[in-house]
Amino acid sequence: MKQYMRYFKWYFICTGLLAAVYAGILLLHGMADAGERTNGKCLTDERVFDYGEVLSAKEEERLRELIAKRERQTGCDIVLVTLNESLEEYAKGREGYVPYEEFVRVYAEEFYDGNGFGYDRPAGDGVLLVDNWFRESDGNVYTWLCAAGKADEKYDLAMMNHLLDVVYRYVERRPYKAYRAYINEFYHDMTGSGRNTFDFAGMDIILFAVALAAMLLFTAVHWNSKKGKKTVTAAAYVNGGRPHMNKKEDVLVNKVVTKRKIQTSSGSGGGRSGGGSSHSHGGHHGGAGHHR
Amino acid sequence: MLFRCRNCGGNVVYSPEHNKMFCPHCDGTDSGEKEVSAAGAECINCGAPLDIKEYNSTCKCEYCGSYMILDERVDGKYRPHFILPFKIGKDRAVEGMRQEFRSRVFTPDSFLSEATLEEMKGLYVPFWMYDYAARYDYAGMGTKVRVWTSGNTEYTETSHYHVERNLDIDFERIPVDASIEMPDDTMDLMEPFDYQQLEGFTEEYMSGFYGEIYNMGAAELEGRAKEKAERDADSLLKESVSGYTTLVQERKRLELNRGSVHYALLPVWRYRYRYQDVEYEFYVNGQTGKITGTTPVSKKKAAAYSVTVFAVLWSALSLLLHIAEVI
Repeated sequence: MKQYMRYFKWYFICTGLLAAVYAGILLLHGMADAGERTNGKCLTDERVFDYGEVLSAKEEERLRELIAKRERQTGCDIVLVTLNESLEEYAKGREGYVPYEEFVRVYAEEFYDGNGFGYDRPAGDGVLLVDNWFRESDGNVYTWLCAAGKADEKYDLAMMNHLLDVVYRYVERRPYKAYRAYINEFYHDMTGSGRNTFDFAGMDIILFAVALAAMLLFTAVHWNSKKGKKTVTAAAYVNGGRPHMNKKEDVLVNKVVTKRKIQTSSGSGGGRSGGGSSHSHGGHHGGAGHHR
Repeated sequence: MLFRCRNCGGNVVYSPEHNKMFCPHCDGTDSGEKEVSAAGAECINCGAPLDIKEYNSTCKCEYCGSYMILDERVDGKYRPHFILPFKIGKDRAVEGMRQEFRSRVFTPDSFLSEATLEEMKGLYVPFWMYDYAARYDYAGMGTKVRVWTSGNTEYTETSHYHVERNLDIDFERIPVDASIEMPDDTMDLMEPFDYQQLEGFTEEYMSGFYGEIYNMGAAELEGRAKEKAERDADSLLKESVSGYTTLVQERKRLELNRGSVHYALLPVWRYRYRYQDVEYEFYVNGQTGKITGTTPVSKKKAAAYSVTVFAVLWSALSLLLHIAEVI
């Protein structure tokens, strides 16, 4: 036991220090709370509306927990809606002529204002992501990000497009990861504590694999270091420590240059459907959409 | 032959710590006098019969503990050209091994305390040392590849070279152990020895240690020396043709011309431990202190240490990730 403790002393100290740093940061974040929510007229406490049924109950619960934490830190309501239905009739019933890419905008603004979302007041500070998995008659699936209040002030079109790019990076394969990225990206944008689009949720498996590989390497190295190492160099028995070079020729025979075009990819895999601001009956919204 | 102390009459031995002849009975230094006898297989000191094995050049009297050097086995065709005296004494070798055991993390904690020392011997191992004049002639086709981009175009430049090398390599004293009892791979791991400290043979250095005559002749063992020379020559050639992305050999000719062969005695400590009914052998280079040998592995300890490494690393990485997430 004594030998064990001596061997792992620095491992334990370093891990303990990291734990202390993490605890300290959490404490600081706790102190930097955005304050109590003052909107008493919101119709619901729910933030995750998985009408499209793309999330498991456990994933929904995790997202709720993350949203609750991030709302306190940002002072904004953070809402997520998934759908799997055509919004054509709904949007045209509200606004008359609406292009395909804005069906989901109409829905998002109505949903936000209709439920009275907003951290400070109804239709106040907050953000809403509507991801409609239904393929409209033009063959596309549409997503809209709607920002209100101080989130609207903070977000310009480029930031919105970036956030949607982050969501689209994962949404087809792992929706949970995509929505988690939406919440974290929004938090980082709002608190200004550094943009971070890193996929933390998926890192658990990578960390596990790294630790496992390190463990296997450690075991293999110590298991095999039993006998001894060869420490003789090639020049150990050479008079003068080096050979005598009679001839050393490196003659260029020919040179061939080939070239190829580099294919560039868009990255998000989806299209952008513009953005801008609009006024609905509830208030002013900024927003942007993507399609896939 | 025996070295007797002129002060007290005890057996004088060579002491690596003192770097001179030393009498353990009266602590006298350089007090040994060579005593030769025609007694043959009997102890010069007490007259008891000696247990002399086929290749022994020295032996220790089981009755009085005196070290005898067998005259006819250090003379004539068995007289070594060189000897490398022990530089590391018994205590330093034991301490070095203890440190080595501690550094082997899967060795059972109880090994140090419970293993019993079965044998502890300072041995002069017979080696043949071969000189070779080597000429290495090589030709090949090498390529160097350079890749760069300009705009949205990637360029790859492949340059072909005709490569020629002609090396003269003067190998000196490539060692090959000439003892059947000593495992070849272990003796190879004992290298390198520092030849600067090689001395012309003198019997004094053998007093207090075990020794052997060569068990096999130089011609019989030359194959191993050639292997070593060829391997080293290949490595030296590779060093001289570095920088190529690919290299295809067109011509390769290595000539090894044997020069002198020397017979030398090199110092090795051998320890035999018994632990849980299994014997473990360790060898310590008597000049440099380099250690080779196997230690037992505790599966429980290996599992505990490996799992701890995994747990600590996973925790630390997870904490780093969480820190990165919140800052």
